[in-house]
Amino acid sequence: MGAPVTVTSPDAAGPVQEVAEEETPAVTRPGRFRPSPLGWVPRLVVWAVIAWVVLIVPLGHSAIDLQDFTRAVCYAIVALSLNVLLGYVGQISLGHAAFVGIGAFMSAYMVTTQGQSFWIGVLAAGAIGGAQALVLGGVSLRIRGLYFALVTLSYGLVAEENIFQIESFTGGGAGQQAPKPQWFESEWRYYYLCLGFLAIVLLLDWRLMRSKGGRALLALRENPRVASTFGINVRIATLFAFVVSGVIAGLAGALIAHNDLGVSATTWNFNLSLVFVIMTVVGGLRSRYGLVIGGAFFALMPYFLEKIPGLDNALAKIPAPFDLTPELAPLVVGPLLLLLNLIQFPGGIGQQLRPIARWLGGHRFDLHDRGLKEVQITDVRA
Amino acid sequence: MSVLETYDLSIRFGGVQANRDVSVTVGEWEIVGVIGPNGAGKTTLFNMVTGFYTPDTGRIIYRGRDITGMPVHERAALGLGRTFQNVGLIKGATVRENLITAQYLQADYSVVSGMLGGARSLRTERMLRTKADLLAESLDLGDLLDTQVAGLPYGTLKRVEIATVLATDPDVLLLDEPSSGMGPEEAHRLGDTLLDLRQRFGLSIVMIEHHVPLVVRVCDYVYCLDFGEVLTHGLPNDVRNHPQVVAAYLGEDPDPAVVELESQLESLVEGG
Repeated sequence: MGAPVTVTSPDAAGPVQEVAEEETPAVTRPGRFRPSPLGWVPRLVVWAVIAWVVLIVPLGHSAIDLQDFTRAVCYAIVALSLNVLLGYVGQISLGHAAFVGIGAFMSAYMVTTQGQSFWIGVLAAGAIGGAQALVLGGVSLRIRGLYFALVTLSYGLVAEENIFQIESFTGGGAGQQAPKPQWFESEWRYYYLCLGFLAIVLLLDWRLMRSKGGRALLALRENPRVASTFGINVRIATLFAFVVSGVIAGLAGALIAHNDLGVSATTWNFNLSLVFVIMTVVGGLRSRYGLVIGGAFFALMPYFLEKIPGLDNALAKIPAPFDLTPELAPLVVGPLLLLLNLIQFPGGIGQQLRPIARWLGGHRFDLHDRGLKEVQITDVRA
Repeated sequence: MSVLETYDLSIRFGGVQANRDVSVTVGEWEIVGVIGPNGAGKTTLFNMVTGFYTPDTGRIIYRGRDITGMPVHERAALGLGRTFQNVGLIKGATVRENLITAQYLQADYSVVSGMLGGARSLRTERMLRTKADLLAESLDLGDLLDTQVAGLPYGTLKRVEIATVLATDPDVLLLDEPSSGMGPEEAHRLGDTLLDLRQRFGLSIVMIEHHVPLVVRVCDYVYCLDFGEVLTHGLPNDVRNHPQVVAAYLGEDPDPAVVELESQLESLVEGG
């Protein structure tokens, strides 16, 4: 950031200085930093540790624990889906549980009621997720900000109370069965399957943001007028982003459904929508690794709390009008972290980890490289 | 042959006639100045030409084609590029990112193939990046390529903005107060840049400008607007010395209601 604007190349000190046709001395900008072979060693060690934690460590755990880990992976996908709306389009969705839930039910319905394969179920879940997002995207062209948040909120409630109560589709109160796919019946295989899907979503997101579609979205989020003078069709771009978000959400829903072996309507409530929004913002908008960590962190919070010995007893002693369970933790911890976000760290976990991530990517370690300046704080207000 | 013509453009915001029967002609390779006191409706005219406002009456003809009802992005595709009074840049992005974003229309691949990482999209991306770097170098912005736009001084922003608009590959450049925020020295250099750009890119330029020396030096033809109407037009020196123009600039202030309403509308559209 504060790098010197121009430096003469180190070779310039050499005995013979070849001057090009022009009289002006050759000025070069600092070349891209590349770590020495030795510099790669600690980086590779850290990469190996990350791979070990993600790929190997879960294998040593019980099937029930693995189910939790798989959910963490699914939540990461949800965070990436919501990030497309919050981070790229700049619209907040308070009904994302419905986006995800409808995918879950669709896949379960296709597999259990229609007798189709898991893969068809996933495709159908993505399709219906995209379709419903397209409708809401149409709404978002007319209404923005908090009003749009209200529309999504009511959509989420309507989905929970009505759409998810349609007996023939969702199995009513009993819910719908969702068996694991062939070859992936065991928990650890299914965990790897979900990791694979996460990798695909990450890849798509990365390519999107490195191509014209993603740039168009960032431009119109900040200034739709300027974006349109660049020749960007603001309506089409917005709708496209909604569809992308919806498809990913539907996919995540399907994966969650088959992980839990079933879906029921009560899962997809407003609380979950809130947790989704919080984990996305706390994870860090527009930061892929931040979002993955944020999603996984919130999904695993109850799991880790259950591991703390004696916590159940301690919670039971606290006089409260309702049962305190670890499941409520995200709703308590989440808002606190969100406050911290708003006050101190607009870029969330992603912003905090950016120096490390840059270092892992083969850059210099720069503690102050947070990649954010004041303008980007604005979107946390959403 | 004229590139851009407007015929009797009128638009009314509530009780205020922001533009009335404004007819402007811009010839090929011409630099046309639009001057006038604050609130005269200059930016409103730009907004109608670029498509942010639809005129109540009147026509806009671009290279013989009626573009009056065309959306903004389609006009951009035809070659209308514009800058904004308050800097139209993506502030969170770097100069290079802005220049690449602005080449949206030259990125000749579909959004989906870009998302899937198709070979063509990757190739095009490299080309866009090179073009952005070359453009920046040619406008003396090479050192700023990796700098975030937010935080740059205002005068520099104006130059970056011009580079960005050039990246959209325009035929006609509409510049809204390009020299604002610049000192006399910088404004003089801007004049050189504009003349040079016209030659290099074969541009026709329309510019709203308050800096009279710049207008006189650069413009081939000048329109003076006042109270939403064309007060007079002609060669720069003739317009400058026109008694009504002098009166408009030095005389009574424009109707505060017009100024107020325009700024309100501006902020409404901006903040929408």
